[in-house]
Amino acid sequence: MPDMDLSCTVNGRPVARRVAAHARLLDLLRDDLNLTGTKEGCGAGECGTCSVFVDGKLVKSCLMPAGRAEGAVIETVEGLAGRGPLTPVQKAFHKTGASQCGYCIPGMVMAATACLRQNPEADLDEIKERMGGNICRCTGYTKILEAVEIARDVIAGRADASVLDADETLGESYIGHNVRRIDAPAKVTGRLRYAADMKLVDMLQMQVLRSPHPHARIVRIDTAEAEAMPGVECVITADDVPGKDGFGVFVHDQPVMARGKVRHVGEAVAAVAAEDLVTARRAVAAIKVEYELLPGLYDPEDALKPGAPVIHDYAPDNVVKHIPLRKGDIAAGFAAADVILEHEFGTQQVEHAYLEPEAGIAFVDHDDVVTVHSPSQNITHHRHMLAEILGLPINKVRMVMSPVGGGFGGKEDMIYQGMLAIAAMKTMRPVQLNFTREESLVASAKRHPSRVAYKMGLTSDGRITAVKFEMLSDGGAYGMSSEGVMRKAAILSCGPYEIENLQVDTRAVYTNNTPSGAFRTFGGMQAQFATESMMDMAAERLGLDPFEIRRINMYRAGSLTHTQHRLDRASLDQVLDAAEAASRWETGVPSVRGALRGDLGGPDTRRPCTLGARLAGGPATAAATEAAE
Amino acid sequence: MNAITETRAETRRKRGRGMAASWYGIARTATIDRAGAWAELDDGGTVKIVTGVTEIGEGILTVLAQVAAEETGTRPEDVTIGDNDTARSPEAAHAGATRQTYMIGNAVALASRQAREVLFEKIAEYWEVAAGELRAFDGEIWAEGSNLRMSVADAVAICKARGTVPVGSASFTANGTGLDPADGKGSPWQTYVFGTQVAEVEVDTWTGEVQVLGLWAAHDVGRAINPRGVEGQIEGGVVQGLGQALMEEYVTVDGHAATHGFAKYILPTALDVPQITCVIVEDEDPTSPLRAKGIGEPALVPTAPAIINAIYDAIGVRITTLPATPEKILAALRVQQP
Amino acid sequence: MLTCDAYHRPRTLAEALALWADAPEGSRLVSGATDIYPWARDGRAGDVHLPAMIDLSGIGELRGYGFGKGRLHLAAGTVYQDFLTDPVLRQNLPCMPHVAIWFADDQIREVATLAGNLVNASPVADGTPAVVALNGAIELARLEDGEIRRRTVEIEEFIHGPGRTAIRKGEIATQVTLDTCCGYGGAFQKVGQRRSLVISVACCAALVRTDPEGRTFEDVRLALGGVGPGPMRLREAERMLRGERVEPEAILRAAHGAADRVASRSRLDYRREVVVNFVRAALEEALANRPNRAAAHDQSKETMANA
Repeated sequence: MPDMDLSCTVNGRPVARRVAAHARLLDLLRDDLNLTGTKEGCGAGECGTCSVFVDGKLVKSCLMPAGRAEGAVIETVEGLAGRGPLTPVQKAFHKTGASQCGYCIPGMVMAATACLRQNPEADLDEIKERMGGNICRCTGYTKILEAVEIARDVIAGRADASVLDADETLGESYIGHNVRRIDAPAKVTGRLRYAADMKLVDMLQMQVLRSPHPHARIVRIDTAEAEAMPGVECVITADDVPGKDGFGVFVHDQPVMARGKVRHVGEAVAAVAAEDLVTARRAVAAIKVEYELLPGLYDPEDALKPGAPVIHDYAPDNVVKHIPLRKGDIAAGFAAADVILEHEFGTQQVEHAYLEPEAGIAFVDHDDVVTVHSPSQNITHHRHMLAEILGLPINKVRMVMSPVGGGFGGKEDMIYQGMLAIAAMKTMRPVQLNFTREESLVASAKRHPSRVAYKMGLTSDGRITAVKFEMLSDGGAYGMSSEGVMRKAAILSCGPYEIENLQVDTRAVYTNNTPSGAFRTFGGMQAQFATESMMDMAAERLGLDPFEIRRINMYRAGSLTHTQHRLDRASLDQVLDAAEAASRWETGVPSVRGALRGDLGGPDTRRPCTLGARLAGGPATAAATEAAE
Repeated sequence: MNAITETRAETRRKRGRGMAASWYGIARTATIDRAGAWAELDDGGTVKIVTGVTEIGEGILTVLAQVAAEETGTRPEDVTIGDNDTARSPEAAHAGATRQTYMIGNAVALASRQAREVLFEKIAEYWEVAAGELRAFDGEIWAEGSNLRMSVADAVAICKARGTVPVGSASFTANGTGLDPADGKGSPWQTYVFGTQVAEVEVDTWTGEVQVLGLWAAHDVGRAINPRGVEGQIEGGVVQGLGQALMEEYVTVDGHAATHGFAKYILPTALDVPQITCVIVEDEDPTSPLRAKGIGEPALVPTAPAIINAIYDAIGVRITTLPATPEKILAALRVQQP
Repeated sequence: MLTCDAYHRPRTLAEALALWADAPEGSRLVSGATDIYPWARDGRAGDVHLPAMIDLSGIGELRGYGFGKGRLHLAAGTVYQDFLTDPVLRQNLPCMPHVAIWFADDQIREVATLAGNLVNASPVADGTPAVVALNGAIELARLEDGEIRRRTVEIEEFIHGPGRTAIRKGEIATQVTLDTCCGYGGAFQKVGQRRSLVISVACCAALVRTDPEGRTFEDVRLALGGVGPGPMRLREAERMLRGERVEPEAILRAAHGAADRVASRSRLDYRREVVVNFVRAALEEALANRPNRAAAHDQSKETMANA
């Protein structure tokens, strides 16, 4: 690998290093200088986790050749406070609770710092604009923006620095008290090390060969050339799984690496552990796989048709799970209805987009315990499954949950820990695998895309008499959490309303699409999107206010749920009242009355974003605001 | 404002409001759920907590520190949490299902309470009072109705000098039941939460763009352990819901991803978020020691339908398939006004 | 992943041209480098190995700008952030701040160059329509017998299609030349699912100059991006408006004419509708963005009311 010599100043210290000619500034910082507060969230300049100052300008270090560091003055998140106290921006982030998983936070702190260095008087619109290149998936940005405004006021001298340290007065209890996040200082300084930030002595890098086909039989895998490459320590395939292959949250239908056939694009087929990343990638490219293409399924409705290709032998009908609910008599319920509404709804496949791509390290310890550090959301279950896969007693498998840079359900599936463990056992060396963003997108589960056929009967005074609810979800190539998602979707399906007669069916089917799995709400949002749309459509039809129709039907203490569970208590009345009051809701029928409403544009709304906030008093802002008025 | 922009204002940007309600269950669904924790009152009046699963960003470490401090009479900064290791900590299952505060929180509360009871028993002996008269808070321990008072640090030293390490361990159970395979009958959770959100949107009828300008979110979370943390969960859930309502879509064409990275998979940025007003409703859970419930997942549920209902209010277009992209909205407007 | 056998960072244009002339087949020039790393990733080009990468960012001659013959000469190293921060550029290129603000975030703008955007010739590049509206030309330098030779190509001639330009082997873009449009109002329109950092299906740049009273269009420049293989100047609409009174009907007429120019193969209905609205919005915003408009404001209002 051709190298180049670089000299620069990093966080006030002179630095000289020899790096690869192709290295990016991000690689120099993370790999050579161990400044891992700078993260790699996407590698394509889209997320801002890698923001650093170069000669005073904030840039995305994943897009900058390391060669440009020559002679430059570089400042990373570690350099902001150095060994001194936190900066006002960092303190403000700590104060407002601006960090959640923390993975975007070093970049956010850098962007906020840059914003206030550029314009210490920046208003909220300008702050948003200057931070628009940094993505956060946890916080909804609100507490981050609050922090930047507090820091601005302190820096501009409008607020006393003591506000940054002041805590709310403690009453008689720590419960209900806004204790500052105890993990925030490590996050705002970039000190917290996630799995990709860890280094162990003698560690190998893993890369994975992934399927280019949605559905194909594997005829042959030839790893000879890859194995012969200098620096390659092992190449593994399904043949290397020592125990009983298969994992999954409900059904163990997924092999550690494709076994006999591939079922979706991006499925792991083989993996390489090598001395460095470039060698591992080249070795992966040298693995030859012969595929025999099979007909694929890409639409869940096609999966249910007679004669459809079968994706898993154990499920010849391609159904992962069907959950039925039956309560009362829907025929009688619809007969008693004054109006019947029938509509269909669809939701899309959604990516978790945690800023931390999957990453992990595995090694075999001095007691022969196979140890895996990864941001797993379920180390307990992963240990059970991994012990089976490795054919080891359960106390010889140890799962450690490394700091999780966002999960949202997407890190419940054990999609790579098996490969790491096997490679560590084969090489008896620590092995690390860091997903690229693209890899994370194709290999990890998504939110189930769903279609709901909805039929609702109501009396003219707004009472729901019956519901027929049929949901079909695309489970993708593997079962993952589909069973549980269908169960939760069914249980929550018809919303928080007491419905005497209902028939609910939720089904997830196998296709050759990217697998669907657990994602924050676990089927609840797909189902209730349909229900809450129907409620408004029904309200319009019956001339009722949206709050009113919901109150007519809402669960109360003593209500019987869709699964016929008797509720001891139900707080829906309280949250309806609270939302109605807080939003200053103007009562009325939801019949396109936006233009007539008197409750719009209050102090608790923001101005429309027109961009160009900094063209201060400038033409763009003036014109666009005027147009919006 | 000149005549041109006046015409524009009438025709171009339209506002509306919509709402949606929701419900959710706490902890694992339709099954028994469990979590274990260990606690020790340590030298210097500090606390060691060990449990099997904690932080994924939601703030559970801070919640657990508050809970342990409250139960042991110490301060959150005195609490050290050892966690997340199947070989070193008791099983607490997974980080998900809106179960962290409820399951792990209650397990830590019970384990801490047990450790405190050991301490109280030894200090009651030392002070020659009934253990029931002892109280502890914020690093101090005292006997009610007396002037007996000392630091928790001293109390731990006395307890240890008398031969006892004040430790506790506990397991917390949530008794969900499975569903009947034929009719789905069952009690999937032992506690439920409810939420309601209102959205205010502006639709640009020239481009189809939707901006959410205001969002009011009222959620029952049971007893709020850390209200600021609860707000953080609501705000995060709302913006994920907004992303799903308006922009996010993972697209595959015959199984091949068309949205390879964040250049194509569009996520909300700071410029897209509405002003969010959180209203925390505390309907305390009578069935668990902490009386808390949860908020992680439920915050996201009503956002998309509230936004879609608001779009309808603004322009009379009913979007039934997500996301409501500019292209989809313009197409729907074309159908509406040919 | 991008790898290379050699990374060069020449300090002079002559050095860069010499390196480029001798560079093995498949070598690449980089300026902002904001596209090359994302390009060498899964879903686009995949892993790419380059014989050499020649980084132009260290060349002093490729920085700065100057005026000549009523035109503004921007050195190829001019980055998008300059259009926001440099008052001279803001005044003379009134549409460019709006392009810059929509183009990307601050961090990308700090390194991404206008010249690089033109040379990459992406059909959805935000910069090209604005440059076309500014009668832009690009200067290309090459080494011939040890001498630096330069030629200048109009941007409309330069961009042949997606990723295809008139650049020849051994040439390096050194300068972008633009009309100075001091006194014009500028605007840029783009749509996406969110407010920043999106690749737009279409975009529109506009420049407008009126008489001091704001009653008559004296000059209008309109160009579209994303509606065909290259940027598209709307000369017919410009001609139609020049000398016309500033009235909504005239603007609408010009906007509707634009729909027929949409030549994209996909999402035709959407593009046509958006383009009409973009042209209309761009003209209106450019009018509103005219400098010293405040003085003319009342009169223009009166004119409108009478119209």
